Amino acid sequence: MNTTLTGWLLDVYPNETNLTLWLIGDDGQRHRLVQDFSARLYVAGPAARLRLLWRWLEQQPIPVHLERTRRMDAFTGMQTVLAVEARQPARLDELFRGMLAAFPELTYYDADISLPLRHAAAFNVFPLAHCQVELCGDRVTGLQPLNTPWEIEPEPVPLRILSLEPDCEPAHGEPQSVIVSHGRVRYILPVHNRTQLLVGLSAELRRFDPDLVLTSWGDTWLLPLLLQASRERGLVLPLNRDESMAVVERKEHTYFSYGQIIYRGRQVQLRGRWHLDCHNAILWNDYALQGVLEMARVTRQPVQEAARLSPGTGISSMQFVTALQHELLIPWHKQQAETPKSTMDLLRADMGGMVYQPTVGLHRDVAGIDFVSMYPGIMVRFNISPEVPRARTDPSTSSGQCLEPAPGEPGIIPLTLAPLLNKRLTLKSSMLHLKRDDCRRPLYQALASAHKWLLVTCFGYLGYKNARFGRIESHEAVTAYGREALLRAKEAAEDLDYEILHMYVDGLWVQKAGCKSPEDFEALLADITARTGLPISMDGIYRWVVFLPSRVNKRVPVPNCYFGVFQDGSIKVRGIEARRHDTAPFIAETQMRLLEILARAEDAAHLGEVLPQAQEYVRRQLHRLRTGQVPLEKLLISQKLSRELGEYSSPSPAARAVRQLQAAGKTARPGQKVRFLYTLGKPGVRTWDVPPPPDPHSVDLPRYRTLFERAVNTVLTPIQYSVNGGMDDECLYLFPSVKFQPVAALLRGNVA
Amino acid sequence: MGRTLPSATQTFLQEEAAFARFRRALRRSDQISLDDLFSSARQHLAAAQYASHALPFEVFLLSMLLEEHKEVERLRQLLEEHLSRQP
Repeated sequence: MNTTLTGWLLDVYPNETNLTLWLIGDDGQRHRLVQDFSARLYVAGPAARLRLLWRWLEQQPIPVHLERTRRMDAFTGMQTVLAVEARQPARLDELFRGMLAAFPELTYYDADISLPLRHAAAFNVFPLAHCQVELCGDRVTGLQPLNTPWEIEPEPVPLRILSLEPDCEPAHGEPQSVIVSHGRVRYILPVHNRTQLLVGLSAELRRFDPDLVLTSWGDTWLLPLLLQASRERGLVLPLNRDESMAVVERKEHTYFSYGQIIYRGRQVQLRGRWHLDCHNAILWNDYALQGVLEMARVTRQPVQEAARLSPGTGISSMQFVTALQHELLIPWHKQQAETPKSTMDLLRADMGGMVYQPTVGLHRDVAGIDFVSMYPGIMVRFNISPEVPRARTDPSTSSGQCLEPAPGEPGIIPLTLAPLLNKRLTLKSSMLHLKRDDCRRPLYQALASAHKWLLVTCFGYLGYKNARFGRIESHEAVTAYGREALLRAKEAAEDLDYEILHMYVDGLWVQKAGCKSPEDFEALLADITARTGLPISMDGIYRWVVFLPSRVNKRVPVPNCYFGVFQDGSIKVRGIEARRHDTAPFIAETQMRLLEILARAEDAAHLGEVLPQAQEYVRRQLHRLRTGQVPLEKLLISQKLSRELGEYSSPSPAARAVRQLQAAGKTARPGQKVRFLYTLGKPGVRTWDVPPPPDPHSVDLPRYRTLFERAVNTVLTPIQYSVNGGMDDECLYLFPSVKFQPVAALLRGNVA
Repeated sequence: MGRTLPSATQTFLQEEAAFARFRRALRRSDQISLDDLFSSARQHLAAAQYASHALPFEVFLLSMLLEEHKEVERLRQLLEEHLSRQP
């Protein structure tokens, strides 16, 4: 019997013969559906070898449909390829491994794209898409999305969320109980009585039937423990809603990304409902559940994957979906190398964004202006994509200074990015008009920060040799357009007599006597947009901002180390102790509080009035530190382990703390954080995550005092200097700002 | 990350290091002045990078000269002001 159903798409995954779909129906029911779906890959190579492959495939036990066709390769142009379509999508991977073993020399395309992504591309759906499904029994015969991932406020999905949280952090102590909660229900199950725990949870899972099991340390501690207990006792625990499938477990791993070492704990994923561990989800602190759902919507990755994926995989997924929908081949192993360049070409092209040295010191009434999502904006506006021929006047190859889009149809990168960028711009501009306490603000912020990471990574992946749509020349072109745009902005500002205090890749800090309100800068913003074709916005006007010098050499400014207070009283800090992850919370909080006290001054001229309060606060905090009134948790230093313990030539404090962890039988892998206290005597540190609690008298107070004073001085030194009558822009003699008239004019004046 | 050529900052640090023996043999007071010159060249690393000159040290020398000239102009202005206040 044919029926129609509408609802939200919860999950898609392969079963043995086809795909399983879960739908949260508008009727409130959870529906398990199946859908026939075939998956394709393409093979290119010499015709004779392809014929052999054809014959080989016909003899395989996996049923396939074969076809000779033509498709576009982003790097080598139109190709004649053999299309191999597997009717049992879950077996495509097995088939591909066989082909690869028998015909390793052929070029494979679309070979390793996950089935949920293929499904999303084929039906233009996404996780939590609101869709209409045509059914014959439980078999899907038609699927249409009723919305898109690009809506600013997606209709809220009636998700049933069950939270599970241990009473303490498993790495630090032995949890005694698990707190179970949903809605207004909240109760405790003991951990030591495993049978009671399993029976209690099992009853809750059946009674409440959650769509999402949201845990703390569920990936690394709780779910493995539950699964093991359930196996040992032979008790069924219906973690999966789809009981025909097994729970998916993945091992821990460590990898490098953006110069940082990153650790991902083991993962436990469920089928038919989701499991998210807020301590193992990427950037949970930045964007929480709404951000995870947004990440899944725009990247089309299943929610459980999206939560644990790096933004790099997210942006690649988006590109894959665009490529599948536009019939562009996705190389399995990319083989393009960098095009040979002359030394001078390399010298001109191999550069990053422009980073200036700021004018050190305190400055008043400074406007911070930023290009909005500059690099993604450049890719979209100037059509920069690996397969698109470069513009004749591309600033990375020609010495000309033109800003023209590359000719032709938009490439895969602009096609992928444009809707995401538009959504981000719409969110940002809507946020400008929201009141500070508007309830939509946190949601918008979560969505915007999820987008931010995707857009940032998109630029990085363009220059990443292993990225499927990466090409170093495109990456270089983006930075070249960026430098040109920033220089044009500088020229625009200087033509209007603004003084440039600092420039940093996509932002400028400018000031002009008498300019204090946003209207005073409108003409400048309009001029910059006219000269560059890129949108620029006002980050805010600072009452005052301080650019800091290097700690090693006071005469050398540091580009990304500053703090300031906007006219609305909000504070912006970059690069100082409060922003660093390895600062003890007590010191970071003191520094931020100090800034809050200074922010009470209505402008820089009134700083002298609040300075005594700030100094008094510092004295009180120092007294608390010296008299042991600061709780030990507030003195914890948290550092990432950058390598295996054996690889340290002289062990860092973090490495020494790990040694103590290991002696207590715990492990720490590179990329994991270690928490410790500085202590007196050897080895100078005491790890936090090994009982018993450390003795408060062993804390190395002089060391904490040094760190405390350093953080306080970072903020107070330039403020005191300004209050005591120091010339704001001339703290250091070598860097006078150009406040004097040209000599010629002076001479003329004298003659007159 | 992922660059073929050293950045202007890296080149600058290499050039500065190349003068270590020269610096060592200078008097302490001259060493301080030399350090000042190098610090002043650091003010224009962004421009030096953008220039992508084949001989970066020429750009660093010009940067030092630029800062010196700014200092001369500033002193000249101070002097002019001072002289104009004289009866």
